[in-house]
Amino acid sequence: MMIYAGIDAGSRAIKIVLIDSKNMQVIAKGLTDQGVEQDKLTSQLFEKVLIDNSIDKKDIDAIVATGYGRAAVSIADTTITEITCHAAGVCHLIPSAKTIIDIGGQDSKFLRLDGDGKVRDFAMNDRCAAGTGRFLEVVAQRLGVELDALGNLAAESRRPASISSMCVVFAETEITGLLADGKERQDIVAGVQAAIANRIVSMAGRNIDLPVIFTGGVAMVSGMDAALQAALGKSVTVSPDPQMTGALGAAILASRRFDKGKT
Amino acid sequence: VTGIPKKITLEQWDLRYEQLLKAGIKQPNYGGPLSRHLDDGDQRLIKLRYDNSAASLRLWNFLLSEEDRLREAWLAGKKLIGTMKDLGTVPVMVYSFDNLVAFYPDGAWWIPCVMELNAGLLKVADSLGIDESFCPVRAMLGAFITGAHFPVPDRLICSVGATCDDFSAIAQRLNGLGYSIFFWEIPHRRKPDPEEEMVNLPGGFTAPKCQVEFVRSELHRVRITLEETADKKLDENKLTSGIKQANKVRRYLAELRQLAFTAEPCPVPALEMLIAEMLVIHFCSDRQETILVLKELLDEVKSRVKTGIGVLDAGAAKIFWVNPVADLQVMNLLEDCGGRICGTEYLFTHALDAIPQDIPPMEALAQMALADPMVGSSIDRAQRVCTDISRFGSEAVIISRIPGASHCALEGEVITEIVKNKFDIPVLEIEIPPVTDSMHPTLRTRLEALVETIKARRT
Repeated sequence: MMIYAGIDAGSRAIKIVLIDSKNMQVIAKGLTDQGVEQDKLTSQLFEKVLIDNSIDKKDIDAIVATGYGRAAVSIADTTITEITCHAAGVCHLIPSAKTIIDIGGQDSKFLRLDGDGKVRDFAMNDRCAAGTGRFLEVVAQRLGVELDALGNLAAESRRPASISSMCVVFAETEITGLLADGKERQDIVAGVQAAIANRIVSMAGRNIDLPVIFTGGVAMVSGMDAALQAALGKSVTVSPDPQMTGALGAAILASRRFDKGKT
Repeated sequence: VTGIPKKITLEQWDLRYEQLLKAGIKQPNYGGPLSRHLDDGDQRLIKLRYDNSAASLRLWNFLLSEEDRLREAWLAGKKLIGTMKDLGTVPVMVYSFDNLVAFYPDGAWWIPCVMELNAGLLKVADSLGIDESFCPVRAMLGAFITGAHFPVPDRLICSVGATCDDFSAIAQRLNGLGYSIFFWEIPHRRKPDPEEEMVNLPGGFTAPKCQVEFVRSELHRVRITLEETADKKLDENKLTSGIKQANKVRRYLAELRQLAFTAEPCPVPALEMLIAEMLVIHFCSDRQETILVLKELLDEVKSRVKTGIGVLDAGAAKIFWVNPVADLQVMNLLEDCGGRICGTEYLFTHALDAIPQDIPPMEALAQMALADPMVGSSIDRAQRVCTDISRFGSEAVIISRIPGASHCALEGEVITEIVKNKFDIPVLEIEIPPVTDSMHPTLRTRLEALVETIKARRT
């Protein structure tokens, strides 16, 4: 069995996926929070995934690292950006994908794909945290709500609040003002989700091909898919296991690049 | 003497310099090891990587010794003319006087980068109410106030009108601080109405004749103030000769750009090309030396192209770059990520085109000034970018935004849409502040992803 590993060293979490290249099936995966000692945390998680799944390290044929912290992953054979990896991961799961929206902890991306899953073009957010998971975290924290509960709360909204600033710092101030004005939390959450979705859509430009696949950690936050759908005016499908698609793509690309049976 | 072309660090340049000395290279009076510029506080130099040719050493030394040259010229009794904003027109006129020297105070926008914010120029600008919501060219204010980077010019000349809003505001603030500025106006270039007489401008643009006449009259005012400063009349033959010399610089640069952007492998790094391109607008305070510096660099590049040796791997992703970078290190980063520069639009494409020599010189300069990409619409800029993409075979475009620069607010969308419609190639917008160190991981991701995308599209 030839096993390839993909490691997505993201800004908020480290994700690992192992695949069996013969049938391209996921045989193991792991997840842990990101931290200061990125390389050590990654190696520890990798060891744990191997032990938990009774896999010998020598059976791993190649490792590709991706994500914000990819350069710090010393066990990797090479690195590939998360843009290419998310495209490979999503297209493995949904081969017809034409558009990918990936919202992670620190950045958000919009990917346009050609017919065979290759990236034709992409756009990324600016260096600020607008339209990212970090933005949602700050909002949830300020409202005293768990991240997981944001979607249900937003669903209760009848009159979403208007959030004019997408700067995390300013938005926090704005939320404080809205709360002081007696705005309901659900309306604020719905307003924030709509603002993030609009931000992503403005990054995307005008021509958006279907199907649109939503991936990255923020795709697991309930309500964000609906907000994106409303902003795009098009249906949005959440990728299976969205937090792991970058790592999955990295593993797939490892198999393509290092499979000794292939030329 | 030249050796195998490659990029080296500042430390490696010291060793290389010794080798070149032993090999007997001739140096101009501003020559010497590159690391000596660290004494001026240019700390960024430690982090850059440079082309290892003697020609590049001369280029860097020429650039980094401009302040000395200005002081020497002033001490020798020449008058210094600070030309601001027009990027390539007024200096042609200034260098037609034998007792005037032009330079661009705007060039101070790179001081925060080169000195890694240690010069405190941006803080001075902040204190004068020109904060970070303005373009980094606000560093110029600090340079005037501190007087540490160039002598105060005998005359300041600045184009206003259809130039960028930030610069106009900064220049007005400077004027208000007592630095008297001679303002001349450049109108927004427009296409002629059907009943208007049309003039074909360099760069493929057109304008109504009345606009060219207006700019010519404005430049005539500039000419008069220069004559007053020089205390002599500008002879028509000298102006014609000045245009010829400027065109010589432009011809060398055009040849250099053609080779640098199309030869495989890439014969000269992006950073040295950026510096070389900048020479065309200001001659780095010595027009004649600019000609020699560019000629030596061109000869070096020609020799590399002839032998098929370059400084980057063959097959590097060909990228067209829009706007100059506030942090020079990003040019190195692009190449580290597998890219190469294949076409540029650094906001002064009008200075790359030959000045017409078959019409009266003042008319020719007026046409050049009106061909400035900054005084027309972003659509004009995009079309020029498209022309050069076709010419150089670029595979993607990077639009590097300058933080706070007003022109960056809208041009990205326009250029992106027009380029994508015409070529269906990736266009990436990034923002480059004067010091990008903390942003390198995110910048690297964007650049590497673009290179991966380009290479995937080739298959």
